[in-house]
Amino acid sequence: MRLRIPNRLEDVFSALHLAEETLRRARHVDEGCRADVRLVLEELLVNTVRHGYPDGRDGHIDIDLRILTQRVELELNDDGQAFDPGGHAPPDLPGDLADRDAGGLGLHLARSIADTFTYSRGPKGNRVILHFCPQAFDESP
Amino acid sequence: MSLSIRSESPQPSRSTVWLEGRLDAATYLEFDDAMRDVTPMVDSGGTLVLDLSALDYISSAGLRSLALLRKQMRDRDGRTLLLNPQPQVKKVFDIVKAVPVAEVFASVAELDQYLDHIQRQMTAPGG
Repeated sequence: MRLRIPNRLEDVFSALHLAEETLRRARHVDEGCRADVRLVLEELLVNTVRHGYPDGRDGHIDIDLRILTQRVELELNDDGQAFDPGGHAPPDLPGDLADRDAGGLGLHLARSIADTFTYSRGPKGNRVILHFCPQAFDESP
Repeated sequence: MSLSIRSESPQPSRSTVWLEGRLDAATYLEFDDAMRDVTPMVDSGGTLVLDLSALDYISSAGLRSLALLRKQMRDRDGRTLLLNPQPQVKKVFDIVKAVPVAEVFASVAELDQYLDHIQRQMTAPGG
C-alpha cells in the first residue's frame, strides 16, 4: 500500500483504515501483528500531524506499507519539522499513568512494539523505517 | 470500528462502564464526554469499574483518557478498577506500566472479592 496524505487528522484515520484492510487481506499476518502495525502507524501519524507543523502550514506524509513473506515493513516520509526519536529519553513510567504528566507515550509505544525502528532526516524531511513481526511468520515456507 | 460505551450505576458506591471497540485518537473525546456524565454518579470514595472485555484496541490517546479518569476518581477519594483487558490492551498496559497490577482483574468474581476485602477492612473494629 502506497499512499500520500495531507497532514490532517481525518486523513490519518482514513489511512489507518486502508492499512488495516491491506493487512487483513494478507492472510499470513495474524491479529496481533495487525494490531501492532496499526498502533505504531497511529502513534507516528498522529504525532506528525500534531507536532510536525507548528506553523500550521500544509504538508504531506507518504506511507509505504509492504507485506513480505517474512515480515511487515513500514516506511513513513513527511515534510514536517525534524523529530529525533533517539534524542528523547524514555518516558518516566512510575507504574501508574495517573501519577505522571501526559506526553511521550506514543513514541515510546512505537519504539517498543516495532522490531526495528530507523530514523533519518534528509533534505525532504523525516524518514522512519520500521519492521514488524518477524517471529509471526515462522511457519511460512 | 468505533467505540461503544454503556454504563450502569445500580448503587451510588459503584458504577460499571463497558467499553467496546477502540479507544484511540479517533474516539477518546467521545469517551471523555461520556465519562463526564458517569463520574459524578459515583459517590465520593466509591468505585468505578471499567469492563474492558470487549475493548479490542487502545492507543496512547486512550491511555491519556484513562489516566485522566483515574486522577478524577482519585481526587474524589474513589478508585478505578479495570476488568478483563484483552491481549492488545494488556500488551499496551504492560509496556507503559499504565496501572498498578493490583487494580486489574481477570473476572468479576475476583474484583468483587477485592472490594469485599476492602469493605471488611473499613468496617472491621479498629480498622
